[in-house]
Amino acid sequence: MLRTQFNSARVVEAYVGEYASGKSEMAINRALELKSQGRQVTLVDLDTVEPFYTLRPLKELLEQKGLTVIGFSRPEAFGLGETGAMLTPAARWALRREGDIIFDVGYGVYGARTLNLVEEADTSTELRVIAVLNYSRPMTGSKARIIEYIKELGRVDALVANTHLGDETTLEVIEEGTRIIIECAGELGIPVDYIAIDKKFAGEWNLELFAIPVKWITRYMPAAMW
Amino acid sequence: MLKVVDETKKAFLTGNETVAWAALAAGADIMFGYPITPQNEVMHYWTRLAPRYGRDFLQTEDEISAGFTVCGAVQAGKKAFTATAGPGNVLMQEPFGMAEAMRLPLFAIIQQRGGPSSGTVVYSQQEVALTTYGGNGEGYRIVYSTATHQEIYDYTIKGFNVAWKYRFPTFLLGDGYQAKMREPLEMYDPEEKGIKLEPTYPLVGLPGKIGEGREPQHLCNIYSLEEELYEVVMKLSADYERIAPDLVEWQEHSCEDADIIILTHGIVSRAADDAVKALRAQGIKAGYFRPITLRPYPSQQLREAIAKSGAKILLIAESSYGQFERLTKQEIYGETIKIEHLYMPGVGIVDYDIINKVKSVL
Repeated sequence: MLRTQFNSARVVEAYVGEYASGKSEMAINRALELKSQGRQVTLVDLDTVEPFYTLRPLKELLEQKGLTVIGFSRPEAFGLGETGAMLTPAARWALRREGDIIFDVGYGVYGARTLNLVEEADTSTELRVIAVLNYSRPMTGSKARIIEYIKELGRVDALVANTHLGDETTLEVIEEGTRIIIECAGELGIPVDYIAIDKKFAGEWNLELFAIPVKWITRYMPAAMW
Repeated sequence: MLKVVDETKKAFLTGNETVAWAALAAGADIMFGYPITPQNEVMHYWTRLAPRYGRDFLQTEDEISAGFTVCGAVQAGKKAFTATAGPGNVLMQEPFGMAEAMRLPLFAIIQQRGGPSSGTVVYSQQEVALTTYGGNGEGYRIVYSTATHQEIYDYTIKGFNVAWKYRFPTFLLGDGYQAKMREPLEMYDPEEKGIKLEPTYPLVGLPGKIGEGREPQHLCNIYSLEEELYEVVMKLSADYERIAPDLVEWQEHSCEDADIIILTHGIVSRAADDAVKALRAQGIKAGYFRPITLRPYPSQQLREAIAKSGAKILLIAESSYGQFERLTKQEIYGETIKIEHLYMPGVGIVDYDIINKVKSVL
C-alpha cells in the first residue's frame, strides 16, 4: 500500500489570487488533505506581499499535524521588524524536496510573480498554478471582473471556487458564486479543480448541483493573527 | 459617471479595501497618500479602482505633503482625502492643524499602529491623543472610532459629509487589525439609501469682486496680532461647542442596573461586548459603554449612564497605556465612580482579558 503511494505522481500546487481570496486557507486545507492520505507534504509560505495574514502564526500547529512547513515562525520573525516579510531561503529550493509541495503565494499579480523566486518553477512539469476565487470579493464580484482578473494574473492552470461571506455564508451565496465562477472558467478555458465549502455545510449542500468535486474546508486562518 | 455599487449586497472585504470602496461610493475625487503600513491597501485599492471611475490619485513625497495637498485640493472644491498611521500621523499634524485653523473639510483615515516612533506595523490604539488633540491647536476635530467593517464603510461616507458640512478636520480612527482583518459588510450606494452627499464647492478663485459681489474668504492660518488669533480661536471654540451635541455618537447597553461599566472604544469594544454578555450569563452585572466619537466625546451620555446605573466601578480597557483613560477623565471630571483600567499597549484585547480583569476588581 505504501508503495502505491510513493509511485503515484506527486502533487505540486501553487495557490495564487486576489487579496483575501482564500489562498492560505486553500493551501493549508489541501496540504492537510494530502497528509491525511498518508503522503509526505511540504507547505511553503511564499507570501512576501502580506505578512499579516499568512501561515506564520499557524506554523507550529501545522507541524504538529505532520506537515513540513517552510516559512518563518513567530519566534523567528521576532525582531525583524518590517523585514520580517522576507522569504525563508529554503523556499527557493522547495521544488527539489521529496513528496507533495503546496505553495501559498502572495496576492495579486506581483504576488504571483513571487513564484519566479523558486528554482525550476518555470520548467517544472508537475507544478500547477491554481487561482482561488471568492465571488463575494468586490474585485472578483462579477463575471467581467473575474475574467479580467484571471487574465491579469499570468499563468493560471486551474481555478478553485471559494465563494463565502465568512460567518455570514449561506448556501445561496455559495451557489451563486460557484455558478458564475464555473461560467468564467468555461469562457477562459481553464478547469475548476474543486469547490471549497466550509465543512459546516456538509450536511446541507446538494452535491448534485455542479459536476465538480467539493472539498470541505476547515477554517484555520481566523486564528492567524500576526 | 459609472456607478460604484450597482446593487446593495453583502460582500467580503478587508478594512482597508472597505475604505477605498466607501470613498468611491461617497464620491471622493482624489486621494493623496504616502505609503505606510497598516494603511497601504487603502492606497492599493484606491489606485486600482480610481481610474475605472475617473477619480485621481497622487503619491506625494512624504506625509507632510500628503496632508497639505489634501488642504489644497479641498480649497479647490475637490472631495479629497488621505490615509496614514503612526509616524505618518505625526507628520500630518501640521497640515491637520492648518485644516483646523482654516476650517478646511479635510478627511483622513488613521489606521493605528504601535508606537512610540515606528513602533510596530501591526496594531495599537496609541494614536488617540494624537488624532483627537494633536497639533498646536485646541483639538477642534471630529474623530470617529470604528469597530466593524460595516462602520468603516458607513463612517467613511459620513466622514466626508461631516467634514464638508461643518468644516472641521474629520478622522476615521481605525487600527491595524481593522485594516487587515476581513469580514462581511453591506455595500450600498449612499444616495439610494437616502444619504444626501454634501455638495462640495471651491473656497478660492470665486467669481465676483470682493466688496462688490461677495465677501472675502478669510482662509488664513497665520495672524500678526495676538488679538486677531484670540478672536479666531474663540470663534472656533464657539462653533465647535455649538455643533458638538449634534455630532456625539455612542453605544450603550446593559448599564441600567450595572455594578461595573466597561468603557472601551474601537475594536476593543467587540471584546467588551462579548465580555459583558458572558459576565451577565454568569450573574455579574456588567454594562457596556462605547464612545463612537472620541471628539466630541459623549461626556453627558457617559455621566448619565454612570448615574442611572449607580455603578461603583468604571473599567477602562484600551490597547494603549492610558490615552483613552486620560481623555475620558477630562471629559467626566467630578464623577466619583472608581476607575480601574486594563492597559495592553499595542496588543489585542479579547473578551477573557476583560472578564478576568472584571473579576479581579469586583
